[in-house]
Amino acid sequence: MPTAPASTRSGWRLLWSVLRRQRRGLIVGVLVGLAWSAGKVAVPRLTRAAVDRAVIGNGSLLFWAGLIAIAAVIAGVFAGWRRLVAFRESRLTETMLREQIFEHIMRLHVGYHDRTQTGQLMSRASSDLLQIQGFVVMIPITTSQLAMVVAVVVVLLTSQPLLALVALAPLPLVNLLAQRFSRSIHPAVLAVQAEQAQLATVVEESVAGVRVVKGFGAEGVQAAKLRVEADDIRRESLQAARIRSNFLPALDLLPNLGLIAVLGIGGHRVLDGTMSYGQMIEFLQYIALLVYPLRNLGMTVAFAQRAAAALLRVDEVLSAVPEVVDPAMPKQLPEQRPNGAVHFAGVRFGYDPDAPVLDGFELDIAPGTSVALVGETASGKSTVARLLARFYDVQTGSVSIDGVDVRSLALGDLRRAVGIVFEDTFLFNDSVSGNIAFARPDAALADIEAAARLAGAHDFIAALPDGYDTQIGERGFSLSGGQRQRIAIARAILADPRVLVLDDATSAVDPSKEHEIREAMTTVMEGRTTIVIAHRAGTIALADRVVLIDGGRVAASGTHDELLASSPRYREVLAALEAEVDDDDDLPTVKGVG
Amino acid sequence: MYAAVVNDEDRLDRDQTRNVVRRSLEFAEPYRTTVWKAIAYVTIVTLCTVAGPVLVLVATDHGLLDHNAKVLNLCVIAYLAVVGISYIASRQQYLAINVAGEGFLRDLRVRVFDRLQAQSMAFFDRNKAGVLVARMTADIESMAELIQWGLLQFVSALLLLAVTLVVMAATSWQLLLAVMLILPVVIAASVRFQRQSHQAYLDVRDKVGQNLSTLQESIAGVRVIQAYHREGEQTRRFFGTNRALYGSHLHAVRISVWYFGFIEFVGVFAVALMVGVGGWLAHQGSVSVGTVAAFVLLLSNLFDPIQQLSQLYNTVQSAGASLHKLYGIIDAEPDVGEHPQAVALPRTGVLEAHDLSFRYQGAERRALAHVTLRIEPGERLALVGPTGAGKSTLAKLLSRLYDPTDGFVTFGDIDLRVASLASLRERVVVVPQEGFLFGGTVLDNIRVARPDATDDEVAAALASIGVLERFEELPEGLRTEVRERGSRLSSGERQLVSLARAALVDPAVLVLDEATSNLDPGTEAVVERALEYLMSGRTVIVVAHRLSTVRRADRIAVVDHARLVEYGSHDELMALGGRYAALTEAWLKAQPVAPPADPA
Repeated sequence: MPTAPASTRSGWRLLWSVLRRQRRGLIVGVLVGLAWSAGKVAVPRLTRAAVDRAVIGNGSLLFWAGLIAIAAVIAGVFAGWRRLVAFRESRLTETMLREQIFEHIMRLHVGYHDRTQTGQLMSRASSDLLQIQGFVVMIPITTSQLAMVVAVVVVLLTSQPLLALVALAPLPLVNLLAQRFSRSIHPAVLAVQAEQAQLATVVEESVAGVRVVKGFGAEGVQAAKLRVEADDIRRESLQAARIRSNFLPALDLLPNLGLIAVLGIGGHRVLDGTMSYGQMIEFLQYIALLVYPLRNLGMTVAFAQRAAAALLRVDEVLSAVPEVVDPAMPKQLPEQRPNGAVHFAGVRFGYDPDAPVLDGFELDIAPGTSVALVGETASGKSTVARLLARFYDVQTGSVSIDGVDVRSLALGDLRRAVGIVFEDTFLFNDSVSGNIAFARPDAALADIEAAARLAGAHDFIAALPDGYDTQIGERGFSLSGGQRQRIAIARAILADPRVLVLDDATSAVDPSKEHEIREAMTTVMEGRTTIVIAHRAGTIALADRVVLIDGGRVAASGTHDELLASSPRYREVLAALEAEVDDDDDLPTVKGVG
Repeated sequence: MYAAVVNDEDRLDRDQTRNVVRRSLEFAEPYRTTVWKAIAYVTIVTLCTVAGPVLVLVATDHGLLDHNAKVLNLCVIAYLAVVGISYIASRQQYLAINVAGEGFLRDLRVRVFDRLQAQSMAFFDRNKAGVLVARMTADIESMAELIQWGLLQFVSALLLLAVTLVVMAATSWQLLLAVMLILPVVIAASVRFQRQSHQAYLDVRDKVGQNLSTLQESIAGVRVIQAYHREGEQTRRFFGTNRALYGSHLHAVRISVWYFGFIEFVGVFAVALMVGVGGWLAHQGSVSVGTVAAFVLLLSNLFDPIQQLSQLYNTVQSAGASLHKLYGIIDAEPDVGEHPQAVALPRTGVLEAHDLSFRYQGAERRALAHVTLRIEPGERLALVGPTGAGKSTLAKLLSRLYDPTDGFVTFGDIDLRVASLASLRERVVVVPQEGFLFGGTVLDNIRVARPDATDDEVAAALASIGVLERFEELPEGLRTEVRERGSRLSSGERQLVSLARAALVDPAVLVLDEATSNLDPGTEAVVERALEYLMSGRTVIVVAHRLSTVRRADRIAVVDHARLVEYGSHDELMALGGRYAALTEAWLKAQPVAPPADPA
């Protein structure tokens, strides 16, 4: 957890900006809370008067009981109102911050996402926000409780200073203990959770690796591991229970010492006649009234500390600056036919700037032609596509489409001009048609169908239970790897890009279906600039020209047959590719979604 | 934290509830003394809680009003004693309840897991992995919450309610009647709130799920979203689910606002009532002033437990539902079990399939029908056929990962179903397609196959397939943690671990689901060679995907549409010119690019 003072300050600045946005609601909440405090503080005083004047004395019972009933109405109404405002505002904070985070995440460059795990961003936008929400909810509640504590202490001190001091003496301890409790139970709870996570790992691996477990009869090994984890959970849970048993009974019973003091000292004063019986009842009630607020205030401190840490983490995400953004004065792509000329000029780029993946990379693709990029694993062939779509920016050199540098195009224009079919097909939890029309949600069904036909996906889509309306993804119908890829191809085609990038669109396809994909790709590529990133030899044949990438630059270029004949390195790389890939088993691929 | 929530369909009926309670008592049996101790402590604490106001009553009536300082002092001393006793008992009750509760959970975890593991492959095919993991984690953890504080609170709330009512009745029935004007209203409001908030909570949980799933999908798919410039659209979509979540949060708050406002009102109003009615009764001389004061102080002992009970109701219900599911797992008999008179398999023998048929549970058609095969010791058999034809199923039946629906499998003339499971796993080893790794070191991972193997034996197994040096070169040799960053094994190395496991067992029969997809080129050849070492001298059944593998087999079984359609050597089947010949041709065609210049 970073604790640099500068970032702490920016965390608080974030909170401040949020609170300012909601200042009206929060002020109302605080005022309502104060009204509640007034109602609550009035009750013991009224009870005292009622006991002294009407129960023991001969005053009007109805009058005093009526006054207490009015205080009851005030306390009830304002307690409800305070709750409403507190939760409404805190949920609003949570909701708006989540939207802020989401919008920001969507704008952050791919490089950021490559470095950051999905789970981390998820917890920024969920559990961390809950901590912050928990803090905001405390604002009206804590202020009103604080006001109540102050008011009660003042009332008690002014009426019977000495008794008040003795009776209140144990109460700060309640606050202190509550703070210490919060602080020591938190790590214990985390330890329990950590052990629970370890047990979950054993269960998960036993279920995921059930073939190994069954195949070798290794049930005993896993059972022994689980016993260890189950014992660990028990040990840590009991440790947490010990902490609870150290604090909770004391927290419950400490206020009783105040009550006893009132009974003992106050009782003798009543006997002396220096204090009325009603006053003693008042004291008893006041002491009881302070117990929960003091306990809560103690917890609030620990709570605020956790919220501050969460704020820091959220702020870290929000202050990450998107590195790939629209230029100040975007240029337009020329309206010309044919279009889709791609030019890489002297490109140098590395994910680690000191270790370039591409260096002195030159590539020219004429409009409407296709090129297969061939290279060993990590040779940089997929990087070419990432630079073209400006997922990353080049370090030196330039990438241009139809003569315009990609950095001087509006991102929207650029990405409409480049259509990518990713290596790992990602589909959304949506209908088939929704997935195909992802780039153009308003596309007519006829267009969607046309794209699907081109991609060779129409036939199997039509055979799905609900056709194009079939829901796919983790909660819907599961498709095979090949089917998923054809939908991804249709998605790219519907966007009608100037340049199409196919990042090995056939790696997860059943060998018997591979030719179907290849036919679809051939149709799609006709008359469109296409870059095929070939991870398998079969795909290479589709392109007009083959470019061998080696050592960060173009090592050879020509037709497949030419290279086969002229370049020994090409033959080597092909052989490696051949060995690298093989068909999958009969399992439908579920990778990619979710 | 796991939300304590049950859907209506999860709610248990009377018989199920009785069963859950009965089974829970059985499970709690080892902790009986501790449970009794806990109950005793809870009772002491409850009595102490009620004793406070009673002492105030006595002090008022007999000390203050009778001007008797001695009684007052006695009451103060007694009160101190009560607090002291309560403190000690209260600490003990936490400990006792947790010792029993955590012990109960620990046993439950162990027994559910043991039972899960005893189930057959078919069980794991039928049940989603996520659901099984959830049983062992979320379902049990939701009970931990109950055990940590819920059970204690539940019992003590009930006790406190009962004891307070008894004390009130014994002190003044008239004032109790006045209390009874309010109490039913509080109970009714609590029950109503419990129902409404439960519904609202289910709705919130639902919306949280939807919102998280949109969020997760958007982050995971951010590259696609940016590639198609749909950031704006996706953000609007997310705002939709996010605002829906906000809406259901607000709804839940509105419900609670009425209830908590009402409870706050009633708490103070009851004081007014006690003062009014009690004062009037005191004027009549039918109750003492001390009684009125005691009632005012006792009121919170009535309202607090009712609130707690209504909140706990859901927790208890959801724990009941979880327990019901867990006992369901414990009670499920494994379908591939050990025969009561199981015998050990011979060291070696002929593996034979006798008219095997198999149907997956719930499937309409048979995955395998009337397959008869005979595999001699040391013979190498390749199973080929189109995707889904049944070749993997056949392999699973031959290794008794499943039991056949009809027919049977013998090894050395012993039916696999009467073979002891231990000897079966020693003779027949299935090497799964993926090189799955467990947490732990390389040694641990290989030893999974034979837990009693020494380090030397594991090393020998690695050496027998010619890869010992490769693993010794890892940062910490065979003691390298496989899941730690930086020491991640490549897919080829994972395969080698998998093969080493088989070598450690040293079986007579090896069943391989050909494992060559996505290997890094560097280890491809090493894996091939290790596999050759492993196969030599053993009966091998391989589910083949590559022509080269098929060619190396002694015989080939072609499975198509659940049936064994061709069976013989490569040359025989090629000569036959049937399915196998066609398949071979398709295989050759799938590689349109001519193989790179091959010197051989």
